[in-house]
Amino acid sequence: MAEHPTGTDPIPEPEPAAAPAPDPSPGWSLPSRLVLAAAAAVLIAATAWHLGTVFLAIAPSNTLSQEYSSAIDAHVYPEFEQNWQLFAPNPLQDNIAVEVRVQTLAPDGATPESGWIDLTAQDIAAIHDNPVPSHVDQNLLRRAWDYYASWHNQSDGTPIDPGGPMSQEYLERIALQRLGRDWQGNPISEVQFRTATTPVTGPAWTGAPSTARTTYALLDWWLVTGDDYQGLGR
Amino acid sequence: MTATARAAWAAFTERANAEYQAAVVRIGFALCFGGFLLREWPDRRVLYGDRSPWSFGLAQQMLASNHAFSVLLWSDSRWWFEGVYTASIVVSALLLLGWRTRTTSVLFMVCVLSIQNRSVLVGDGGDNVVHLMAIYLAFTRCGRVWSLDARRRLLHPEQADGGRTGVALWSAVGVLLAWAQFSGIAKLGMLAWGLYSWSTVFWGFWLLGGLWWLLGRRAESVRPGEPRALMDTLGDMLHNCAMLVIAVEVCFIYATAGWYKIQGSLWQGGSALYYPLHLDYFDPWPGLSHLLASHPVPVFLITYGTVMVQVSFPFLVFNRRIKNVLLVLMMIEHAAIAVTLGLPFFSLAMISADAVFLPTGFLQRVGARLSRANAASRSGPPTSGARQRLCRPPAESRRVMPRGR
Repeated sequence: MAEHPTGTDPIPEPEPAAAPAPDPSPGWSLPSRLVLAAAAAVLIAATAWHLGTVFLAIAPSNTLSQEYSSAIDAHVYPEFEQNWQLFAPNPLQDNIAVEVRVQTLAPDGATPESGWIDLTAQDIAAIHDNPVPSHVDQNLLRRAWDYYASWHNQSDGTPIDPGGPMSQEYLERIALQRLGRDWQGNPISEVQFRTATTPVTGPAWTGAPSTARTTYALLDWWLVTGDDYQGLGR
Repeated sequence: MTATARAAWAAFTERANAEYQAAVVRIGFALCFGGFLLREWPDRRVLYGDRSPWSFGLAQQMLASNHAFSVLLWSDSRWWFEGVYTASIVVSALLLLGWRTRTTSVLFMVCVLSIQNRSVLVGDGGDNVVHLMAIYLAFTRCGRVWSLDARRRLLHPEQADGGRTGVALWSAVGVLLAWAQFSGIAKLGMLAWGLYSWSTVFWGFWLLGGLWWLLGRRAESVRPGEPRALMDTLGDMLHNCAMLVIAVEVCFIYATAGWYKIQGSLWQGGSALYYPLHLDYFDPWPGLSHLLASHPVPVFLITYGTVMVQVSFPFLVFNRRIKNVLLVLMMIEHAAIAVTLGLPFFSLAMISADAVFLPTGFLQRVGARLSRANAASRSGPPTSGARQRLCRPPAESRRVMPRGR
């Protein structure tokens, strides 16, 4: 591959005794050769830069990626963003169901509440026996919840800017699109979310317990206004 | 220069490598994205349009901060959306067929970015692969073989410059681009000028395309002149870089997926496979996946096998024989994921990406067999060689290097 450094290699590589090797690029005029050489340098540098920054962006955080994080991010985000930690380091071990209930405003001034409506169960029902599940059923609510969770403090549930308020609006609109404006004839005035997290019971042969306990996490009531329905077709 | 370096320089500058692989990747991703758009047709407005819970305003907020590109953010009119969605299906079909791939591959990139970036939160790993490959494909010569372009070059060598349709298409795209650039419809600075901007990419492609045609006009003699040959060579070099990036990207995907898995206790314990097969969102056939996860031996073998294949892939691609075995294993695993986890488009995207490593000889044999079968089904025994020649790069119409100047 590389030329032998004379210092380490006692036997110099024999040069072909015959006529000198043919020019690698016969026929190109000098300006063309200069263009080719410049283009090659630019292309090789750009390719190396792209692959290098993408590698550092997907590698575990390390000294290089920390040192050059702004340069890396500037190139990789948003269009080359990627995450290949698919089922890694460990696959997800919980089934998270997003449930919602509503408070309505009755004509007599009462505020009747609905029971918990399992939105995730609707997704699962649409996925069952479906060889080509839609993103509407497989990703929309699931990833909206991930988005909400990643933009809220895990300890006290307070939103983090700027994604916090956006994720709340998104989640609320997903529920409102499915529920419509009314529940049992009365207009919806508030919604409340909770998640029901059920761990996957491990394989029997690992000695994992065969039953799992579902744990619930409750969010605050959110006010619903007419604006929240904008464009939802409801 | 040593012989190896000289050979590498020649491979880089004297030809567009991996034409068949580029064609397979093109066909695979066009099929994947076009098929996805058709599948989501009933829900398109909820996912990417005026009915989306991820409202136009939310999308604006996100794109204003991350500067992603999407023509769907240029207008919140329903018909703008319907037009872009429908055009994306048409562009995917055209790219699949290999019609005017220099232009359609760029349009395909615009369509993929526009639709995905409108509602990035409804995407998954499959969308991510399509997103990256759509960008890379725009820089390749992905229509050299197995395409209407190749057919046209063979049947109408006199139209090597694109003919009248080529000029019309180039003009139409130019008008469209000028309108987008100067009418003020492009929002959020998506077409703002700058060296490192989308404007540079789009105008660059367009101007170079025009220059290439012009140079062909000027030297309309028997042999194209040197500037034209130089441009062809530069295009080949760009293609070679893009194909390298595609190949390395596939290695990145497997390397990251594998290396992070090694650190996971469940993958080490040999039972990781059990868990995805019990996640409600990825379980269209509970009977099947629970059966698959019911015995420790297959679960262990697939769990360990997955990690081994993913981790070793970037190193073993250099070994021809082992590489082909790995490719078969990966494609089988992805086909199985398509069914058991209900992720057909993710799987098709990964199989299309894997295909960049398929051996040329294999692809040529498949192509020849397909065209023979096609010819036989149309007109009895294959009497004309023209159809089979479509599978080979038309040597007679390739550029001629100006030698001995």
